[in-house]
Amino acid sequence: MRPLTDEEMKTVLDKLANYMSDLKSLIAPLEDGDRYVFRLNHSRVYYVKLSIANLATSISRDALLSLGTCLGKVTKTGKFRLHITALPIIAAGARHKIWVKDNGAQPFLYGSNVVKAHVGRWSEDCPEHQGCVVYSMADVPLGFGVTARSTAEVRRLDPTGVVCFRQSDCGEYLRDEDTLFAG
Amino acid sequence: MAPTRTVKNKHAAPKGGGSSGGKGPRKSSDGGGISKGKSGPKAKVPATQIKGRPNLAGLDKNKKKKQRVYTEKELGIPELNMITPVGVTKPKGKKKGKVFVDDKESMTTILALVQADKDGQIESKMMRARQMEEIREARRAEADKKEAERSAKLEDTKESLRRKRKRATTTTKGGPGGADDEVENIKAVAATGTKAAKAKKKRVSFAAE
Repeated sequence: MRPLTDEEMKTVLDKLANYMSDLKSLIAPLEDGDRYVFRLNHSRVYYVKLSIANLATSISRDALLSLGTCLGKVTKTGKFRLHITALPIIAAGARHKIWVKDNGAQPFLYGSNVVKAHVGRWSEDCPEHQGCVVYSMADVPLGFGVTARSTAEVRRLDPTGVVCFRQSDCGEYLRDEDTLFAG
Repeated sequence: MAPTRTVKNKHAAPKGGGSSGGKGPRKSSDGGGISKGKSGPKAKVPATQIKGRPNLAGLDKNKKKKQRVYTEKELGIPELNMITPVGVTKPKGKKKGKVFVDDKESMTTILALVQADKDGQIESKMMRARQMEEIREARRAEADKKEAERSAKLEDTKESLRRKRKRATTTTKGGPGGADDEVENIKAVAATGTKAAKAKKKRVSFAAE
């Protein structure tokens, strides 16, 4: 387990900034004087309290399976892939949102893209190819994706047209159970 | 000779005792120069085994021998006059390995940079999208306008044709100048290219058997 390098930190924050409007809240000091930090172990990036990260130094790298919240994985080419485990953090400061109707929640959780017919409402002034968080109508975050079209274009779209390309959804907790946390 | 002796003593301690007990021929074989090939490997094998054992006089000597191997730098031999590429030379005094970002200040700096960069990108993207949308709207309005004009023109021509036809029918009934009017009417219809012209189309039909 080690802190992130300059480049890695930039890549991670850059990816998070696609979905979040306020990144400063990520490293804001907590009431008890603690703060959150980013740690890397087995090419996975964890978002964890500093006190816990310090405690975790007593565990060897190989033996340490996970700590804090896993944000995603750094690929061998140096890119960063967000995992579904990062959803609570992203959803807390989402930049753009899409709410899907109840009839659209299941197809999304099974890995489909969001079509216009399933959209209940969406945040205004959203450009295309921009990260967005997908919610159910009861404001429960279901996953995140990338907008296929801008809000203005979506209005003219036919009901079967794709509005949002899925990146990750809560169904992955079951589908990718064996590879999500290790391997 | 000293190391070999120690080897013998150490490794073959019971054997030595045995030899002293009365194994004459072996002693003679060790001491004699006839079977050198046999004695050589025997001496070598224990030497390797001894290496791991501490507190031996022979081992210390071996170590000393190893220490005498100097590298080129230690000897102070002048280096060859070679060209070293720029990337290869590492700056002296700089920390080796990765530089981690863990303190709050540097993290905040990177965060602010990334945030500003991303905000700018998104803003420009939205501006571009808005401009494109405006252009599309303008184009659509223009196309609608043209379509309306075209349909209005078509309606006008239709209306005029109807009027002319009515006039023609009244004139043929009334007087002899009706044939000229009809020719003109046909010409006008052909020029406008409306559906009325289709009536003039030539038809081909096969003769019935």
